[in-house]
Amino acid sequence: MARGSDGKVVRPFAFFRAGAQQDSRANRPILVFEDVYKYFRKDQPTLRGVNLVIERGEFCFVTGPSGAGKSTLLQLVYRKHTVDAGRIRFAGRDVARLKSSSIPFLRRNLGIVFQDFKVVKHWTVYENVAVALEILDMPPRLVRARVAEALERVGLAGRGGDRTEGLSGGEQQRVAVARAIVTEPALILADEPTGNLDPHLAIDILTLFEEIHATGTTVLFATHDHSLIGKRDHRIIALDDGRVLEARTGLRSWPGAGESKPPTHEGSGLRVVAG
Amino acid sequence: MELKTLIGRAKRGLREELRLYLVAISSLSVAFLCVAGALLALTNLSALAERWGESARMTVYLRDGAQAADVAQLRVVLESLPEVRAVEELTAEDARALFLQHAEVSADLAALPPEVFPPSLELSLATGTDPSRIDAMAARVAQLRAVEDVETYRGWFDRLESLLSAGRGLAGALALLVALCVLAVIGNTIRLAVARRRDEIEVLKLCGATDAFVRGPFVVEGTFQGFAAAALAVLVLFFGFLALRGELDASLAALTGIRAAFLQPWMLVALIFGGAFIGAMGSALSLRRYLTV
Ligand SMILES: Nc1ncnc2c1ncn2[C@@H]1O[C@H](COP(=O)(O)OP(=O)(O)O)[C@@H](O)[C@H]1O
Ligand SMILES: [Mg+2]
Repeated sequence: MARGSDGKVVRPFAFFRAGAQQDSRANRPILVFEDVYKYFRKDQPTLRGVNLVIERGEFCFVTGPSGAGKSTLLQLVYRKHTVDAGRIRFAGRDVARLKSSSIPFLRRNLGIVFQDFKVVKHWTVYENVAVALEILDMPPRLVRARVAEALERVGLAGRGGDRTEGLSGGEQQRVAVARAIVTEPALILADEPTGNLDPHLAIDILTLFEEIHATGTTVLFATHDHSLIGKRDHRIIALDDGRVLEARTGLRSWPGAGESKPPTHEGSGLRVVAG
Repeated sequence: MELKTLIGRAKRGLREELRLYLVAISSLSVAFLCVAGALLALTNLSALAERWGESARMTVYLRDGAQAADVAQLRVVLESLPEVRAVEELTAEDARALFLQHAEVSADLAALPPEVFPPSLELSLATGTDPSRIDAMAARVAQLRAVEDVETYRGWFDRLESLLSAGRGLAGALALLVALCVLAVIGNTIRLAVARRRDEIEVLKLCGATDAFVRGPFVVEGTFQGFAAAALAVLVLFFGFLALRGELDASLAALTGIRAAFLQPWMLVALIFGGAFIGAMGSALSLRRYLTV
C-alpha cells in the first residue's frame, strides 16, 4: 500500500477491508460470477445464468459477437449496472449489495479502459492520469512521481505536458491505460480497448496490457476481434446470446480455427454451457 | 480532500469557463450594485435623521402685536427651562432676509412685505431631549401670552423617520430579490458548466470519485462568482462615490449639515461574504438538481 511521506495511507482499501476474511484472501479468486442474470428488457435477458471464476493474476479475453453482452458483463463489475439475479463477488464482496455511496471505493480498486478512450480532451496528458490519484487524496508531490512512472510504462515518458486532444488514437488510449494502472488496481477491465485502432496499434495496446499483466495485475480484455485473440494464448471467455458459450485456452481450440479439440474446462466453479 | 487539489481543479474550471463566468459576474455585480447603492442611500439618510434628532429645534412664533416687554419676559421664561440651550430672537425683517438668502428666489418673492414673515424666538434644545418632553413643553409654551404658535418640527422628523423605515423595507425587499436573482443566475451558470464538463465528470466517476469530490470545484466556482460580483459592485460604488463626493458635499452637506459617508466596513464585509454565501448556495442547489452522481 502506498504511503505519503507523512505516513498517510493514500490507497484506500476500505472496500477490501470491510467484510473480507483475512485468512483465505490470498488464494481466493478475484472475481466470481454466480448465476448472473441481467435484464434490460423483461422478455429478453442480456445475460442469462453466467457462471465464471477469474483467478488472481489471470489474463482473460472476453469475446463474442456484437450484442453478446461483453460490455454488460464488465459494467456489472464496476456497477454501472446492477445484476437482476445472482451474485458477482469481487475480492470476496458482493458487488451488487454495495450501497451507492460505496461504489466509488469499488472503482478505486479497478482500472477501466474503453473503446472510446474516455480521456478529457482539453486536459493535458498529465492531468488525465493524475486525476485518478487526486481522487485518492494523494499529496501532489507523490502524484507527480507516480504519474511520471505510469507514463513511462505506457511509452509516453516526457509527454505529460501535451494536450491530449493533439494525440493520435493509439496515444490517447495509452493515456487511458496509464490512468487505469497508475493506482495499481487489482483488476483491469478493458472494454474493446483496441476497437478504434488500426490493427498494428491494436497489437501494441494488447502487448501493453500483457506487460501490465506480467506485473501481477488481473486483466479482463473484452474484444470481438478474432485476429487479435488468435495471436495470443490466453484464456477465452466466449459469450453468445447472454451465455458463456466456450471457455478455452488459445485460438487453436477455437471452433472453426482448423483443429477440433474437446473444450477444456477451466478453473473451479466454471460451468461450460454448451451452445 | 486535498485542498490544493480542490483549488487547482476549481481554478482550471474557472479558466475553462472564463467567458461564461465573466458574463455571470458582470451581470450579477449590477444586481449587487443596486443593493449596495440602496444601502448607501439609507446610510446617509440615517445619518441625516440622527443629526436632526440630536440638534432639536423649536420655533415659537410671536403674536402680531406682541409687546417688547412681553417678548423679553417670555424669553426669560424659556431660557430658564432645562430643555432649552439657547434662545435667539428673530424679527420679521430678519426672517425675511434669512429666507431670501437661503431660497435664492426671484424678485417677485423678494418683494414680499416683512409682515408675511412672523417674528419668532428660535430655541435650540438640549441634545437628546425626549420627543414627548418636547411635545409637553411645546403645549405649555403655546399657552403663554404673546405666543401665536409653536413649531417643533416633529412632523418633519417623523416624515423623515417614516421615509427611512420605508426605505429600509424597500432595501430589504430589494436585497431579497437580488439574492434570489443571484441564486438563480449562479445556479444556471453552474448547470451550464456541469453540462459542458460531462465527459470530465464521467471520467471522475469511473475513477472512483465521491460525490463530494465531483461537486467540490463547482461549489468553489459558484462561491467565487458570488464573491467577485459583490466585490466588483462594492468597488464600482466606491469609485462612483469618490467621484461624486465633492459635488454631494457642496450641495447636500450645506443644506443638511452632514457630510456624505460611504458604507460602514461591516456592511462591506456582509455584502461581499453574503455574495460568496449566496454563490455557494446557488451552486450547491444546482448541483443537487443537475449533477446526480
Ligand atoms: N443500457 C442498456 N439499456 C438497454 N439495453 C442495453 C443496455 N446495455 C446493453 N443493452 C443490450 O444488451 C445487449 C448486450 O449489449 P452489450 O453488452 O453492449 O454487448 P457487446 O458489448 O457484447 O456488444 C444488447 O442487445 C444491447 O442492446
Ligand atoms: Mg460492447
